[in-house]
Amino acid sequence: MTITVPPLQATDTASHPARMREVQKFARRFLRNPLGVAGLAILLLLVLAAALAPLLAGHDPYLPDLAGRLAPPGATHWFGTDELGRDIFTRILYGARLTLLIVGLVVVTSAPLGLVIGAAAGTAGGFADAAFMRLTDVFLAVPKLMLALAFVAALGPGIVNAALAITLTSWPPYARLARAEALVVRDSDYVNAIRLAGGSELRIIFLHVIPMCISSVIVRMTLDMAGIILTAAGLGFIGLGAQPPLPEWGAMISTGRKFIFDQWWVATIPGCAIFIVSLGFNLLGDAMRDLLDPHLRRRA
Amino acid sequence: MIEIENLNVRFGSAIAVESVNLLVGKGESFGLVGESGSGKSTLLRTVMGLNRNWTGTIRLNNQDIRSAGRAALVRTAQMVFQDPYASLHPRFTVGNALAEPMRINGLPNISRRTAELLELIGLSQDYASRFPHELSGGQRQRVAIARALSLSPRILLLDEPTSALDVSVQAEILNLLNRLREELGLTFLLVSHDLAVISYMCERLMVMQNARTVEVLTRGDLRAGALKQDYTRNLFRASLHGVRPGVQP
Amino acid sequence: MNRSLAVIENLGIAFSGEDGKPVHAVKGVSFSVGREKLGIVGESGSGKSLSCRALMGVLPPSASITASRLEFSGIDLLRASPRTRRQLRGGQMGMILQDPKFSLNPVMTVGRQIAEAVRLGDRRLSVSSIRRRVLEVLESVHIRGPERVYDLYPHELSGGMGQRAMIAMMVVREPELLIADEPTSALDVTVQAQVLEIMDELVRRRGMGLIFISHDLNLVSRFCDRVLVMYAGRIVETLEAGRLAEARHPYTRGLLACLPAIDGPLTPLPTLERQADWREIPA
Repeated sequence: MTITVPPLQATDTASHPARMREVQKFARRFLRNPLGVAGLAILLLLVLAAALAPLLAGHDPYLPDLAGRLAPPGATHWFGTDELGRDIFTRILYGARLTLLIVGLVVVTSAPLGLVIGAAAGTAGGFADAAFMRLTDVFLAVPKLMLALAFVAALGPGIVNAALAITLTSWPPYARLARAEALVVRDSDYVNAIRLAGGSELRIIFLHVIPMCISSVIVRMTLDMAGIILTAAGLGFIGLGAQPPLPEWGAMISTGRKFIFDQWWVATIPGCAIFIVSLGFNLLGDAMRDLLDPHLRRRA
Repeated sequence: MIEIENLNVRFGSAIAVESVNLLVGKGESFGLVGESGSGKSTLLRTVMGLNRNWTGTIRLNNQDIRSAGRAALVRTAQMVFQDPYASLHPRFTVGNALAEPMRINGLPNISRRTAELLELIGLSQDYASRFPHELSGGQRQRVAIARALSLSPRILLLDEPTSALDVSVQAEILNLLNRLREELGLTFLLVSHDLAVISYMCERLMVMQNARTVEVLTRGDLRAGALKQDYTRNLFRASLHGVRPGVQP
Repeated sequence: MNRSLAVIENLGIAFSGEDGKPVHAVKGVSFSVGREKLGIVGESGSGKSLSCRALMGVLPPSASITASRLEFSGIDLLRASPRTRRQLRGGQMGMILQDPKFSLNPVMTVGRQIAEAVRLGDRRLSVSSIRRRVLEVLESVHIRGPERVYDLYPHELSGGMGQRAMIAMMVVREPELLIADEPTSALDVTVQAQVLEIMDELVRRRGMGLIFISHDLNLVSRFCDRVLVMYAGRIVETLEAGRLAEARHPYTRGLLACLPAIDGPLTPLPTLERQADWREIPA
């Protein structure tokens, strides 16, 4: 089988204004959804916090200050300090970096993996479809956290391993989603036209089927990010994710657990951070679904 | 150009086409008429290789389609689908959609040829950068026709090319198809449920019912009402409502 | 024509466009319908379906409607409560859509769906009399073996059969006015004739009013008593049945001329040259 790589650039310059128009239209429709804009604002804040952490934070995230341990929120320590006297506000800011790192790692690995597997299975059909989908079923049958636990136990705790473990458990839904779309697209006339022109199945999968699956995968991905954050925090909480002294939010809650009755802020503040960021992703995801979901787009 | 001998197509236990024979000459326009489920579209898709379970012989331009392989056939025959809203990829601009078959087959001068194709179907060059949803139904069908012509095939298979369009647009598309056939010396195999369209477009036609051939007629037979089978007579009577301005019904 | 069933005067329908500006889909449409067969013809996007949906009250909420009069058998629909309009839709007005596959509930047998319609009309009826009523109406739309069809699911019916079941479901409540939106476009020509015959019979026997929406000018002019021709959201011409040949408006004449005929000439078909002033309200 030969795949000729298309010289996309030549015609892409011609289609540039059209794409710009589409993007503008999309932006206008997005801006009409206040909750989606709120979600986006939360996430932009998260990115800003992560990028500007050294500038915004007045303290060192790792340096213990035993004299000022477990100080309540106040003027010098906005969110108080933890059991080693570290400024919680600073650690939340630095923790944003870890959160983004995990989410980013999981998303760039699991979504494309699931997308390609699902689109290939759906387009090819027959034995390949059955084989890929049973594999997906196997992964879906194992409880998420259990599989992640087993994986981390085997590779050792750490932030990258936690991300890999989450990836391992989160690609199957994307594969299912992409397969469902591919099943419709593969029999459509525009794909038949490519077959009639002699296009190979690989070309059909990558150039014609996958672009049609992407929007539902993006929607699902945005909605999943909240779940990823929660799983990562869960792994951190039971000590299998980020290791101390890394300011990972889940790990921070875990240490704060000991002081939950007397020094509530140690556990509560990271908990709120997780809550707000998850909410942001969910709001954005809902807005994206309204805009992109091909099933909802068929408005009356 | 098109030779079909004893063609049978099955979908599971259902028979979609049964012992059909067909011969279409070079440059001829041949019509397939029948009601839904008569097997006419299935016949077309089988000729294009979109169905697998068939027996018999199909030859296009003297090449057996079983042994010739896709690569040899793409330059021989192409197809235009019924619904222009479903036959163009929604994420491909018109220019990309026209260029894609040529890219697959590694043809040279793709951008010049794309421009020529747009001119051929009577659309201006700035349509190259538009997406299908920015076009009307008639414009989409023009693009679908141009895409089918992009590999310069000798045969064009047309599956109800105007039934999803408004009548005023239908006239434009039919005129375009006739002009292209003349200019490019194409052979047409046209499927339609509309006897008037077939009578206007085709020199000969085959009437199908329940997967079988009812009869093969020339345009002259049809126009003179020289029909041998009752089924065709019924179809003819039901279709005959050609009222024109200035002529009392 | 006797007393009007429905009167529409100066109807306008607008949607808000991509940029927030209103897009007028229907403008200044006025017509009335009595106990007759009224045809509305036009191309896709001409506003023919929208106008009738406004009468039914089933437009999407994004549409804004203006009219100086919108009445159905003396009831002012512009002021009627949603409840009244719902009752009208369930009882005195019915609508048939192009594809029965989308309008019948796929997980309910045909008989039960029609029975449901009967029960909503009169809640005191007994189970056996409802069943009898359903079988009667199935027979009246020329369905052979109504007992068998009663227990079939919509996907088990052919296109013509499904459309007849749909008509049965609509007429079982004996509506005063039936709106049929391209009821035969998805059907084969031979089946088409049968469905038209059934509708014609219902109009004659029950004195029902019928609005028949179609893109097929010839079909409509043969079938209906009166034909409205719509273009770009306006009525450009009103024709008496059978007087198609006397059509005056260039749009109507263009529509007729561009149709191929079995015995027509083989010269290129005349195409429609759209004039900007067709969009104006005719004098």
